[in-house]
Amino acid sequence: MGDLIAVLVVGLGSYLFRSIFILALANRRIPDQVLVGLRFVAPAVMAALVVALLTDSEGNVAIGLPEATALLVGGAVAQTTKNHIWTLFAGMTVFWVVQALL
Amino acid sequence: MSVDRSVARQGVTDALPLFVPAVPFGLVIGLAIADSGMNLLVGWSSSSIVFAGAAQLTLITLLGSGAAAVAAVGTALVVNARHLMYSAALAPAFQRQPAWFRRLGPYLLIDQVFALVAVRPEEEPDRFRTYYLAVGATFWSLWLAVTALGIVIGPVIPEEWNLEFAVPILFVGLLVLGIDRWPKVVAALGGAATTYLAAGLPNRTGLLAGAIVGILAGTFAERYRDG
Repeated sequence: MGDLIAVLVVGLGSYLFRSIFILALANRRIPDQVLVGLRFVAPAVMAALVVALLTDSEGNVAIGLPEATALLVGGAVAQTTKNHIWTLFAGMTVFWVVQALL
Repeated sequence: MSVDRSVARQGVTDALPLFVPAVPFGLVIGLAIADSGMNLLVGWSSSSIVFAGAAQLTLITLLGSGAAAVAAVGTALVVNARHLMYSAALAPAFQRQPAWFRRLGPYLLIDQVFALVAVRPEEEPDRFRTYYLAVGATFWSLWLAVTALGIVIGPVIPEEWNLEFAVPILFVGLLVLGIDRWPKVVAALGGAATTYLAAGLPNRTGLLAGAIVGILAGTFAERYRDG
């Protein structure tokens, strides 16, 4: 029940973000300061998420060599290929190979 | 309502190649739902209710890892705040549309739909609407199918494959692909460092703090860059 409410709230919030200027504020502009801030949402949140997924609730790093290597290789492949499929493929392959070698 | 079939067909054929990179994303979301311990139907409902990959993955992963609902919902909403820009950019084109479409259209306004329709704002209203709906409906139906497929194959895959590790890899990919200037590096470092330092906060609320500090750090760095 709690999960469904969470999904509904995010769905409603997303609809509001997507619709507010179209339905209600058609003649308003987003202030420049906010526009600049919105550009940094993706890097800030993605980096925060990666750290949150790799640490435990006490702030200890919860990954080993296979994970660290896989993330570095995945990042490098993303930078080179600009392609999610190759990023996933390379990251998971390195993860499995290093894990098997240890 | 006159429907121009060739415009609709154009919308579908434009959407298909853009959907290909979203396939692994949708599969990983399905796997994350299967792995999260949440009710599978509730998890899958996020594909139609939220209809946004990065926000869905954020929400599902955080709920599955025991984060407080407020942290999971807050972070997912921050992820989707970029849609404000799309809404503002398309508002003029929507003013020439009927009320029903002004209400339905925003529901389908995801990154790829915006990318395809934003280059046709001057198009004649009927054609714009048909194209928009064709692109949106294509993404919507494929997205629901691919995330369902991920949920179905998730439990079949052996646990020792640790496929859940695809989630941080995907986030690292999104992070790297989004960085095209150094203030974004500042935003990423600010977000990462704050989340790390705030890891002790209850129920992963440090993540929200990290997101906000990262956005502010990037904004200040941009201002410094512009002098």
